[in-house]
Amino acid sequence: MNTLAARAAPLSPASHTAMPVIPAGRLPGMGLRAQMLWAARFRVLWLLGGFVGIALIALLRIASLGFAGQAPERTSLAEAMVPPRGEITDRNGAPLARAFPAYALWFDPKAMGDTGSPLVRSPQDVARALKAIFPDIDEGRMVRRLASGKSGYLRRRLLPEEANRVFALGEIALEIPRETDRYYPQGTLAAHVLGYVVEEKGGQIGMEQVLEDRLAHRDTRTQPVALSVDVRVQGALEDELRKGMLATNAIGAAGIVLDVDTGEVMALASLPEFDPNTAGAAGAVNVFNRATNGVYELGSTFKPLSIAAAIDAGVVRDLGKAWDATPVSVGRRTIKDLKPKGASLNVPQALVYSSNTVTARVADALGAERLRRTMIDLGMDRRPFIELPARGKPLWPQGEWSRVTNMTVSYGHGLAVTPLHLASAYAAMVNGGIWRPATLMKLAPADVPRGRRVFKESTSSRMRQMLRMISLYGTGKQADAAGYRVGGKTGSAEKAGVGGYNKTALVSSFAAAFPLDAPRFVVVIVLDEPKGTVASSFQRTAGYTAAPVVGKLVPRIGPMLGVQPDDARDVDISDLRYLVDRH
Amino acid sequence: MNRSQARSLGWAAVLAICLAAVVVLSFKVHAVRSEVLLAERQLIALQRETLLLETEFQTRASQRQLAEWNAVEFGYQAPRAGQFLDGERQLASLGERRGPDAPAPIRLARADAAETAAGAPAAGAPMRSPVSGAAVTLASAAAEKDAGAVFTQAFGDFLIEASPIRPARAEPPRVGKAAATAAGQGSGE
Repeated sequence: MNTLAARAAPLSPASHTAMPVIPAGRLPGMGLRAQMLWAARFRVLWLLGGFVGIALIALLRIASLGFAGQAPERTSLAEAMVPPRGEITDRNGAPLARAFPAYALWFDPKAMGDTGSPLVRSPQDVARALKAIFPDIDEGRMVRRLASGKSGYLRRRLLPEEANRVFALGEIALEIPRETDRYYPQGTLAAHVLGYVVEEKGGQIGMEQVLEDRLAHRDTRTQPVALSVDVRVQGALEDELRKGMLATNAIGAAGIVLDVDTGEVMALASLPEFDPNTAGAAGAVNVFNRATNGVYELGSTFKPLSIAAAIDAGVVRDLGKAWDATPVSVGRRTIKDLKPKGASLNVPQALVYSSNTVTARVADALGAERLRRTMIDLGMDRRPFIELPARGKPLWPQGEWSRVTNMTVSYGHGLAVTPLHLASAYAAMVNGGIWRPATLMKLAPADVPRGRRVFKESTSSRMRQMLRMISLYGTGKQADAAGYRVGGKTGSAEKAGVGGYNKTALVSSFAAAFPLDAPRFVVVIVLDEPKGTVASSFQRTAGYTAAPVVGKLVPRIGPMLGVQPDDARDVDISDLRYLVDRH
Repeated sequence: MNRSQARSLGWAAVLAICLAAVVVLSFKVHAVRSEVLLAERQLIALQRETLLLETEFQTRASQRQLAEWNAVEFGYQAPRAGQFLDGERQLASLGERRGPDAPAPIRLARADAAETAAGAPAAGAPMRSPVSGAAVTLASAAAEKDAGAVFTQAFGDFLIEASPIRPARAEPPRVGKAAATAAGQGSGE
């Protein structure tokens, strides 16, 4: 201000009068002092500004560290408990597939952060120490891996105690990342139902593929998905099926336990099986599902269905009527019985003794169109109704059925279906005549489909009597588990090969229902190419191979499924009994 | 110092106290929050461990493993029809009173009864070491002259006090084995 006033003074003529107030002689000295003062003040200000700036930077750094730095990761409890992939349980809540926290062993050569050796000790020492923890590794290969300096998995799955021991080695380059793994506690059990998971590709085959969206979606994966399968029944089915398969030297086997009133699959097995825990991106062996994907000519198990169609249509009214049982010549073919039981048989006898000729004649009387209609109603002309992606397409005779086709289909030849087709059809035949689609999802009582009527209630009742008679007097004696009122039909068909039937390869099947006085479950057992062994009395036919499996299985699963054995109860067969059992 | 000065000083003091309280409170809140976080983290860790152990148990007790154990060790078979009861009536019939002309139920012989009949003192026999055959004296028996009687007395007193239903029927404790069993049955009613 003073300097301004001093500069302004010579310009203004009026200022001359003001001069004496401020002595002119002191002006230059005063300006210098003020300048120095100002400079000093500015320096202090700069210093202060610098301090403030540094303080601000420090504060900002602290704040940034506080907000974005190495703050402990905050995940809420609910979030942390959400599995990366939903759980699959059986109908009672026992887990079949779950996300399992596991450890992996990862080699990271850059972990030390310098150019020196990635390991503290020599690769040989470390490999020896690892060998002590994992006895199954190849020590020489491990030394080469560690010496190569390439990062990668040394081992995919570690147990927690193994992880602790690796950590105790003190090698920084050996990292133990935590990974969640898809784990199947029951191992190979129900492998074909569940399928497996490949990282970054999702579920493969089975319900893992079907439920992919639901299991992987953020909102739905918290809730486990309940399948209709009962793990105890599945275990018993696979156990008995495996024993039956090994006892008869069969190349494969399939088994189904189906709830007749809801269509829920209680157990579904296909042998040989695979282990979903070890199946990975490379795929798995034995993924072929014989129960829902394999189509077979199931032979005589079709006879009850044809007879039921005939009873339903009114073609068979008098069960005591004698039908001609001599070989049938139709076209260039002759249909014969495997074990002829006389010149004439009535319908119950035809089922009990498994007569091709009588069944073919009944089907002939019924007519091709009506049998075809029944088979279509039973869903035999399309892939089976089930969620699984592996569903076999039946070999269905196209167009109008000729007389020969009609007759051969009536006893289960010329039409190849999956075992599941047969199970659904049997369920419809014994449950009062309602066909329902099979399902692998647990159904609430309100969700059970209404289904469609295929047979009359009275027909179903007759068929229950006759099925029971087959296991009492006929080919299914070995399936008659004491107290469980089992009834079913055997089927042994030669495998269709190139240029006709293969005489040496057989498909033996048994389709049963229990308890037949109030049917609850259908059991279908199919053995692929059983051989005559000591265990099967050197027989390959279903009565000696597939039927005993049912006979041993039903007492095991009955009590679990709420079916009590009772020696005092049985199907009332008094009106048919004399037709077969003439004593 | 005049009044207004004193007042403003007072306000300043109140403000300072409030600020201090806020600071203390916020510290407290943060402390509690971090405790909650810690507890939550512990919960997560425990839940994961439970999952791990549960899965391990299920793996070791898988259906196939159980079937193998049964085949090798236990040999359990599926129950037969005779092993089931039809309902409450059939169950109740098992406890029915014996009819007037029914045959006497079979009684099983007891080893110690036979010993008593032979003249050997059943209760008084000293416990013997299975290795050396020398008599063994238990520490409690050595300290107390009559440990059984003391226990029976205490147990009887306890039962009388603990039974709210029929205290009058609880018999006064007697010395010996019979009193203990009688008291046990009394409480079971």
